[in-house]
Amino acid sequence: MLSSWTFFISTLVVYFGVDLLSGLSLNLQFGYAGVINFGYIIFQAAGAYAAAVVTLGPSGPASFQHYVFGAKLPFPLPLLLATAVGAALAGVVGLFGLRRIRRDYQAVVLLIVSLIALQLVQADVPLFNGSNGLVGIPRPLQSQLALTPQGYQWAYAAWVLALCALVYLLVRWLSKSTWGRSLRAVRDQEDAAASLGLNVTALRLQVFVIGGAIAGLSGGLLVEFIGAWSPDAWGYAETFVIFTAMFVGGVGNYRGVLLGVLLVPILFLQLPQFLPQIGYPGLTGSLEWIIVGLVWMAILLLRPQGILPERRALALPDLSREAA
Amino acid sequence: MGTLVSAVAFGVVLASVIAVAAMGFTIQFGLTNVFNLSFGAIMTVGAFAAYLAQVNGINAWYGLAVGGAAGAVLTLLIGRGLFRVYARRGAKLFEMVMVTLGLGLVINYAIQAISQNNVYQFAVLQSKPLRLGPAAITPTQAILVGIAVAVFAALEAMLRLTRTGKALRAMAAEPTLARSCGIRTGRVVIVTWLLSGFLCGMAGVVYIINTQSVGYATGENFLPLVVAAAILGGAGSPAGAVVAALAMGVVTEIVSAYGGPQYSTVAGFGILVLVLVARPGSVLGGQARETRLTL
Amino acid sequence: MRWSIGRVTAAVAALGLAATGCASSGGAAGGKSPLVVAGVVAYTGASDFEGQANAGGLYPAISEVNSAGGVLGHKLVYKTVDTKNDPADALPAMQQAMATTSNLTLVTGPDTSSAPALVPVLNNAKIPMTVVAGESAYDRNTLPYFWRLFPPDSANGTAMALWAKRKGYTRVAAVFGTDSGSQGDKPGVIASLHALHVKLVANVDLTPDQPTYSSAVHKLIAAHPQVVMTESDATTGATFFGELKQQGGLVPVIGTEATFTAPWLKAVSGALGSSFRSDFSAMINAPSKPTKAISAYRKAVTAVKAKEPKPWQSYLSNPLSITYYDGVITVALAMNAAHSTDPSAFNKFIPQVANPGPGKTVVYTYAQGVAALKAGKKIQYYGASGLINFNRYHNSFTNQEAVASSNASQPTALGTVTAKQIQAVPVTGVG
Repeated sequence: MLSSWTFFISTLVVYFGVDLLSGLSLNLQFGYAGVINFGYIIFQAAGAYAAAVVTLGPSGPASFQHYVFGAKLPFPLPLLLATAVGAALAGVVGLFGLRRIRRDYQAVVLLIVSLIALQLVQADVPLFNGSNGLVGIPRPLQSQLALTPQGYQWAYAAWVLALCALVYLLVRWLSKSTWGRSLRAVRDQEDAAASLGLNVTALRLQVFVIGGAIAGLSGGLLVEFIGAWSPDAWGYAETFVIFTAMFVGGVGNYRGVLLGVLLVPILFLQLPQFLPQIGYPGLTGSLEWIIVGLVWMAILLLRPQGILPERRALALPDLSREAA
Repeated sequence: MGTLVSAVAFGVVLASVIAVAAMGFTIQFGLTNVFNLSFGAIMTVGAFAAYLAQVNGINAWYGLAVGGAAGAVLTLLIGRGLFRVYARRGAKLFEMVMVTLGLGLVINYAIQAISQNNVYQFAVLQSKPLRLGPAAITPTQAILVGIAVAVFAALEAMLRLTRTGKALRAMAAEPTLARSCGIRTGRVVIVTWLLSGFLCGMAGVVYIINTQSVGYATGENFLPLVVAAAILGGAGSPAGAVVAALAMGVVTEIVSAYGGPQYSTVAGFGILVLVLVARPGSVLGGQARETRLTL
Repeated sequence: MRWSIGRVTAAVAALGLAATGCASSGGAAGGKSPLVVAGVVAYTGASDFEGQANAGGLYPAISEVNSAGGVLGHKLVYKTVDTKNDPADALPAMQQAMATTSNLTLVTGPDTSSAPALVPVLNNAKIPMTVVAGESAYDRNTLPYFWRLFPPDSANGTAMALWAKRKGYTRVAAVFGTDSGSQGDKPGVIASLHALHVKLVANVDLTPDQPTYSSAVHKLIAAHPQVVMTESDATTGATFFGELKQQGGLVPVIGTEATFTAPWLKAVSGALGSSFRSDFSAMINAPSKPTKAISAYRKAVTAVKAKEPKPWQSYLSNPLSITYYDGVITVALAMNAAHSTDPSAFNKFIPQVANPGPGKTVVYTYAQGVAALKAGKKIQYYGASGLINFNRYHNSFTNQEAVASSNASQPTALGTVTAKQIQAVPVTGVG
């Protein structure tokens, strides 16, 4: 019992870290730059697939799973590659998806891109083994570290949290920099910012690529922990869990994101499993999503700025006031 | 050649299924500016209404009206009741997308819970296919094409010939101006919710007439095609939605006939991406004009 | 009001503790603490039929064991762990269940998609599992707590190919959904056709839940297959085959085991009407000849029909449910044989109470088995799914049978393909 608690909690810590990275990435993109990335999950998936195929080793004609670019790279190269692939994909998508169009259009276009990506991976089996996904991805350094299974769990959790801390410091530093203030100016007063000489499209693309890199990293960390990855793991609904977390905690506030990730994907989606089962099997699963939807709508109604709202004092007041 | 002709014929059938929903979506969106992602869930409600009607002995084709009515009532309730509350509390375009998304989740999973995850059979009379040269389509499919054409004609006539229709178009194009010209916006908005809701519910029934089964995910699976057609056709334009649906339908079926069927829907969406990349202005109205919600 | 993050975290932790307190305080009502049997499959999402089949088999098994007095005085209780067909969801859900469930004694599952992530975790925790994952990778399993009463996916595909060959078909088309369940079963079919030199004239993959598949149907007809081998979700199957029939291209259809489940049969038979009975057959784990085990199973299903997923009749002969049932009964008997509910003690008794052997008393029900064990006899549980015979890799291969019916509860047997014939086919390159 005690050791299974250790396993459970350490797994939750890893998931918390991965979700936190997602939250930080989305908050940078949406909270600071106003880019609504409804396709977030494909960048995480890209990182996961990248890390998986360069860990699994080459895929031969006789092997039961097929994928491209099979290789066996040592730690931490797969993670670095996952980060790079997330960034590169974000660059490509951003180049076309981030033109100056209505924000709700932009959001939905990214959502459709995420659907296309999912169907493409399912349809094209030789790419990443289709719907069956990739399995048997070894955990990094497991044999070299020679730890007990519990020890390894905690070591991995610590490693994920360390990377979270690093990314947290990075995005906070970025948002407080002049660059970050320009982002907020673009978000709040796009036309004014453009007329002051800020290159709106370039700024958005930059923030999109940085967010994509963080997404790729989170995917790599997740896949190396689970050891398997398939299209079922990156349905577009996953993106909305993180969006909900951000809205609950507070958009544009990194501590809010931390709180939101703790509340929504971790506590909220784990808690129903503790409750007694009611009705037919599967009913609890449906009710869980109904509750997520209701909480979401309630928050948008009652506290759209989240539990911990953005501190407006940090924004660039002069610019927006002058523009108005 | 035969393959091409059949693919085009099948494309028209697919387009008809998409078009009814896309017309509903586009007039709703064009007028209210609510990007309503709960549209799919409401289609499912319409489909289930028709299914329940059939179980109680009502013919599947009358189910179109039953589903439409269910969609209209629900949409009006949501539009006038729910969305307005959010708008009053300051929700803008994007916040409203989030609201509709949450609402869609709630409706979808409520249907899942009530239907116990089951797929139900929706039986429609079957008979021998009609031969059109090398292509053969079923009578049911021919009727669906007819329905789409009739809906399009009726909608266009209503928008161009009736007072309410003209007011609706004026409001979609220039809301502020329309209001200052003395158009009773409240009434027009109500008509829009009812009309688009009716088309939405009916589209759910059209979908299940062809698939012959209904489940909680019916509308959710279908929504991306509908949204893509509506965006491609330009907000508020039923004609645009029909043309977009035709383009998507035909490309989907041609890819399915000549390439792998598994790539067909990807190709259908691909058109949207291609157009966005090549000529974003033509589809999305160029500048990021901040439009307001009309509820 | 401004909350400091420290206070919120404390509140969250307190809430979490309160929740676990609730969960663990639900003790046993009299007697010894109950033993938990978990179903670890998809209960929601596209593959939710897995969960329905699991519940369909576990409720009767648990009722059967409990009405015979339980296991060594312990009652069995059922717990569902939803994998949602996603390894990323399955891992924390399983670990949560392991952490919060005292006496988690048996796992029925995990399914194909989550097995790679969960099997090692369960084995390390010394929890026996009756696995339903179809990966051929487990044909040579060496993990001690892994038990599979179910043939690998490829065996089902091989049986379909053998059956087609026996019926004299030389031109076969494959129609599979791109969902993970269907794609999991497809490689076995394709590789077996290849190994048996049967020609694959069309290989059609369908994106699920499209409004129409007209062109795919047209393409299939143009290839002139004599028979179609298929698996998809229910809606996709209904749309595709409904259109195939209306276009006049319907040929005999052989479905995988997964098609012989209530939702699929209901949807597709509705779309095909009268043709369904004549043209559809499915290859399933051979239902054994009427034995006392089958009648005991059916009686148990009827006894818990109010709890069963709807329609309860479909579980009377659902091959998946029957296999789950046999898994629970076998493991419960192993506990009796070992006089222990500790997995590390009873695990090795699992083959001992099931495999055939000289001098063993054949038993068909749990109660019979317990009585025979008490009388000091060695037993062989002959299951509702037929003979159970674990090999050294903890796999029990069974015969496969071609069946026809639009009603999952009343299959009509068409012919048998034996486990030996299946294993003689040199299939390569499938997971």
